[in-house]
Amino acid sequence: MTTAQEAPYAPEHSPRLHWAQLAPDVYKAMVRLDAAARQGLDPTLLELVKIRASQLNHCAFCLDMHTKDALAAGESVERIIQLGAWEESRHFYTEKELAAIELTEAVTLITDGFVPDEVYERAAEQFEEAELAQLIAAITVINAWNRFGVSTRMVPGHYKAGQHK
Amino acid sequence: MTVRTRLLDRDVGRALSAVSAAAKKGLGDPALAELVVIRASQLNHCAFCLDMHLTVARELGVSERQLDLLAAWEEAEGVFDERERAALALTEAVTVVTDGFVPDSVYAAAARRFDEGQLAHLIGLITAINSWNRVMVSRRIEPGGYQP
Repeated sequence: MTTAQEAPYAPEHSPRLHWAQLAPDVYKAMVRLDAAARQGLDPTLLELVKIRASQLNHCAFCLDMHTKDALAAGESVERIIQLGAWEESRHFYTEKELAAIELTEAVTLITDGFVPDEVYERAAEQFEEAELAQLIAAITVINAWNRFGVSTRMVPGHYKAGQHK
Repeated sequence: MTVRTRLLDRDVGRALSAVSAAAKKGLGDPALAELVVIRASQLNHCAFCLDMHLTVARELGVSERQLDLLAAWEEAEGVFDERERAALALTEAVTVVTDGFVPDSVYAAAARRFDEGQLAHLIGLITAINSWNRVMVSRRIEPGGYQP
């Protein structure tokens, strides 16, 4: 009898295309954009935002990268795991983090209809205007990386913490 | 409608413009690029972006018939060629990734009509307009600000 532990894992897929090599000009501008968008934001909060957006967009490579970076920076396993159900685990996070996570969901899901006023207002209570503009930029940028990762099927599992910093 | 904030860091704006410009250049088809960015802006409900890119598309000579039927391109056979249809299907899939990945069939259809370099830049363009859509919709930037 074969136990689940003895069964082999499914084979690893290959990426569809190596977009960064094929479009180095686009990649370089994306790296500049990423650096510009993170200015003035708390790195701990930023990793939570990146992980939550990557969950919603199903970007496996991005989840691999940002969970490893978050753990390396001292983030707790509990807070990373609970992100998928943050509305029911609010006491794991600060009010500022919760406002950022909620805004992340709204900005990520704009095809479903705008960013609700109450979500924006809660974020505006926690972040002053320039910081909020940076947060919107940062949410936008992780959404962009997610789209590259998902559409080209970038492969998770090989990222080493700090590799892309 | 009230604009929530007009703030957008200058370096963020410049870098995002550079992403868009590089992607458009690499795709090498300005009229098709406008169809792609207009379709994404429809899906993301970005009024500023629609106003701007419909203006640009008309300047480029994209037909009114294509612009009128873009939201229903799948049912508008004869109005969009196979290359345009492949690009539009990819645009929709990459824009709505929260609904579940980019289907192999959609990707394969695009890979038949575009070489790898064009395809990488097309994905870049779809991603760039999704980014503009997000920064404009989130801040509720009103339509009409674009000057040709």
